[in-house]
Amino acid sequence: MISDLLFRLRAIFRRRSVEEELDNELRFHFEHEIEKLMRSGLTREEASRRARLALGGLEQVKEECRDARGVSWLETAIQDLRHGMRGLRRNPGLAILATITLSLGMAASTVVFSIFQAALLRPLPFREAERLVELWETRQERGINQASFTEANFWDVRAQNHSFEEVAALHSYEANMTGAGPAEKVSGSIVTAGFFRTLGVSPVLGRDFLYEEDRGGLDNRVVILGNRFWRERFGGDPEVIGKTLRLDDQVYTVVGVLPAGEPWINEKIYPLFGYRADADRGSWEYAVIGRLAAGVSADSARADLQRIAGAVAQSYPKDAKGLGFNLGSSSEWGASSDTRRALWVLLGAVTFLLLIGCMNVANLLLARGTARQREIAVRIVLGASRARLARFVMMEALLLSGFGVALGLGLAYAALRVMQSLEIPGIPRLADASLNLWVVGFATITALLTGLLSGLAPALQGWVSGVAAALRDSDRQKGSRGQGRLRAALVTCEVALSFLLLVGAGLLIRSFAQLMRVNHGFQTENRLVFSMNMPGSYWKNGVGKQFMDRFFERLSAVPGVIAVGAVSHRPVEGGNPGMGIDSSSQPLGSERRPPWAGWRIVSPGYFRAIGLPLLQGRVFDENDKPVWAERGQPDPVRRVVISNRLAKLIFPNEDPIGKHVILWKGQSGGDAEVIGVVGDSRERGLTSDPTLTVYLPYGRNALTTEFVAHIRGNANDLAPVVRSIVSDLDPNLPVADVRSFQEVVSRSVAPQRFNAILLGVFSGLALLLATTGIYGVLSYSMSRRTSEIGLRMALGASASNILRMTVSQGMRPALLGIGLGAAGAWWLSRYLTTLLFDIKPFDILTYAMVAALLLATALAACCLPGRRAMRTDPAVALRIE
Amino acid sequence: MNMADGRIELPQGTLDLLILKTIALAPQHGWAISERVQQMSSDALQVKQGSLYPALHRLERRGWIKARWRVTENNRRAKYYELTRRGREQLEAQTDSWRRLTAAVGQILDTA
Repeated sequence: MISDLLFRLRAIFRRRSVEEELDNELRFHFEHEIEKLMRSGLTREEASRRARLALGGLEQVKEECRDARGVSWLETAIQDLRHGMRGLRRNPGLAILATITLSLGMAASTVVFSIFQAALLRPLPFREAERLVELWETRQERGINQASFTEANFWDVRAQNHSFEEVAALHSYEANMTGAGPAEKVSGSIVTAGFFRTLGVSPVLGRDFLYEEDRGGLDNRVVILGNRFWRERFGGDPEVIGKTLRLDDQVYTVVGVLPAGEPWINEKIYPLFGYRADADRGSWEYAVIGRLAAGVSADSARADLQRIAGAVAQSYPKDAKGLGFNLGSSSEWGASSDTRRALWVLLGAVTFLLLIGCMNVANLLLARGTARQREIAVRIVLGASRARLARFVMMEALLLSGFGVALGLGLAYAALRVMQSLEIPGIPRLADASLNLWVVGFATITALLTGLLSGLAPALQGWVSGVAAALRDSDRQKGSRGQGRLRAALVTCEVALSFLLLVGAGLLIRSFAQLMRVNHGFQTENRLVFSMNMPGSYWKNGVGKQFMDRFFERLSAVPGVIAVGAVSHRPVEGGNPGMGIDSSSQPLGSERRPPWAGWRIVSPGYFRAIGLPLLQGRVFDENDKPVWAERGQPDPVRRVVISNRLAKLIFPNEDPIGKHVILWKGQSGGDAEVIGVVGDSRERGLTSDPTLTVYLPYGRNALTTEFVAHIRGNANDLAPVVRSIVSDLDPNLPVADVRSFQEVVSRSVAPQRFNAILLGVFSGLALLLATTGIYGVLSYSMSRRTSEIGLRMALGASASNILRMTVSQGMRPALLGIGLGAAGAWWLSRYLTTLLFDIKPFDILTYAMVAALLLATALAACCLPGRRAMRTDPAVALRIE
Repeated sequence: MNMADGRIELPQGTLDLLILKTIALAPQHGWAISERVQQMSSDALQVKQGSLYPALHRLERRGWIKARWRVTENNRRAKYYELTRRGREQLEAQTDSWRRLTAAVGQILDTA
């Protein structure tokens, strides 16, 4: 075996010397034969003639020896490669066109796949991520099955479960960092001690939180830093452990630094959050993650949790009535299901694009093959095997796809770098996407398949065509009918695939346009939004309220400012806390489930600033106080403003003004009077339905963090003014996330925009390729039919007859393709449903527009060859024959 | 079979056996092998160069024979083939089966 291998290897690597030896060996034989014959009395000429006869064909013997040595497949492959290169060099136009065609498809598919791989295929960078789960509270009887945890319920689950190696809770956290340079808002999560052990992440510097640290009664102000945070704020200082941070005027000690990893871990800080015996059981605030113990299935963990839920519900019937727990896999932490769907759609789209590219190249090679039919026939007659000729064409296709993938990878690299440097929003894990081994492997396999696919038809073409027919001149002129049909079929497929892509792009673009046109409820023009995180000291003695009022006063006095307001959660981008709410006149025993409405604390000026119209009643004024009682004070008189849909829902056919509602129904409860109704808005983002919203007045114990200013002119011009006023009032209060409201809205639809643009680009390319395909096939078949056209014209066909004939010939495959494409699109577009906003997947208008576009392009592609045919001079045309 | 000059074309598979036998005593080059086969069979068998050299290369690949460039008595370089150990085993095995085959065929022909 080994000697056999060595023998073959020698034959490959020392091919030249092996060939030489063969040559020498045969020459030696030949000369001996001559000598022998001469000894028997023949002349040298006669002897060498006979010797040559005896030897048979020298080349044939050599070929058989090579075959016997068993390396010929590799040698011939190398030879095919050389021939292929030579063939391509002879026809550089074709080579360049085909390479560009394929490289565009390759680049598109490589970019999409690299994003796909980073977001969907690459596992989360956590140890044994399949054991990681996310936990939720449920209240099945109220139809709630994914609620955040209350603090107390989390501590109970942590103490009583038998299924998890670790469970940990986290809560988003924002603080003003002061002390080092200008005040700055930092964000992070407060986490329980086991958080990083749950994820399976260990600090690269310092230590993890200790279990003792989150026990009750201790007030441990310790913090772990995300890697990027550490590098940017501390310059990657290795001595950072033990240093202190001032967060909201409290001193925290840095105990650890995390490794670089997921972006949502990288840029944050993690203060420790410890057990409290008086933890709240009513407010759903905490996200909880867990690591299943080895060998514990999700189902048995669920059963375990159910046991705990039962016990908790029994002990706390008021707060925990109907409590249950649910857990879900961590597989969606990297990308949401919509993102996944979108990436699959994009991957499908690039596959179509590549297929179209393949067909175009196949078409080019077929056309070239037709032109070379005579040459090929001669080669066959001279003894070249058909298999060898087919291999040769295939090798050309593979070479083209090889060039295509090389250029395509280059383009993809550049495109990825550009996308990453622009930090295009809406692409999950974009920063992590790279041309890694996976991606390059994918590209290589794709290139191989592309080459095989585009070479298949052209390679078989030489195989099936008749030699004799090819050698006859007249047949060469016309080309075989079967080939014409094959090329027309390829055009049909190209048009059909383009139709699919165009419909996909059309639907996404229309959907995006719909999204942009949707009634937000609020106004976006000329509005600046920014955040100010109120430090703990602002919540004492009305300091924060005073600050806000002075700030409103100063900002309102700025020329050009029309209205200023504040809200607890930024529309579109911010969180959406909610409550059960219902009319207080609802009969007590009624089984009706109270509506769930989002609540927002607002300043009186908010509605005007954000542009929400007042429909009934009045908005808040300075006499309306927060709905929460201040410490030691009696319950306030509660007044709320509600959104129109909510008013219609709980007070059908009634005037809601002056009516009373119960806030946080089913939880803490509290009666309030409705004083006004405002317009609905898409608080939770444009793709969500307008929310049911309850607006609560701000005050000493109800501060807000988000601010809105409506001005004349460009919103961003106000940003420096805002900063200077704030630093005037409190230099330690950072202004963060300053954006025009338009930008906020636009960022929120970035994924949709990205999908629409990308699919638009792909379908544009597809259209271009299909057009060149139609044009190529038609102009080629017209040039082959020149003499026939000349004859027709000589017999009296008018120019318009000829044009009609040409165009109808070219349009036939295009029309068929449009029909097939429409059917395919109708079947495939269902997969787009969840990505579409306010558009049905079978949107007649989109289909009609795509069909019209394809028809027009196909017609244009037909007209050029048609006009050429029309101008054929019969005398010249007939002379060709 | 070519009756015109009284020479027999080799049945399939026998060429390998004849080559092995021819070089069993001493290494030979290709031309000498073909000459010897013809000589030893009293000109009854003729080896076509067209099949000799592919056969030699095939046997070499199988490792039954190995080739070495040597200087001939006329001071020219030629490729000499010699048996390997495996080649010798093959020769014995094939000789044996050939004998049994011809004996059996002969027996049938004689009795019929």
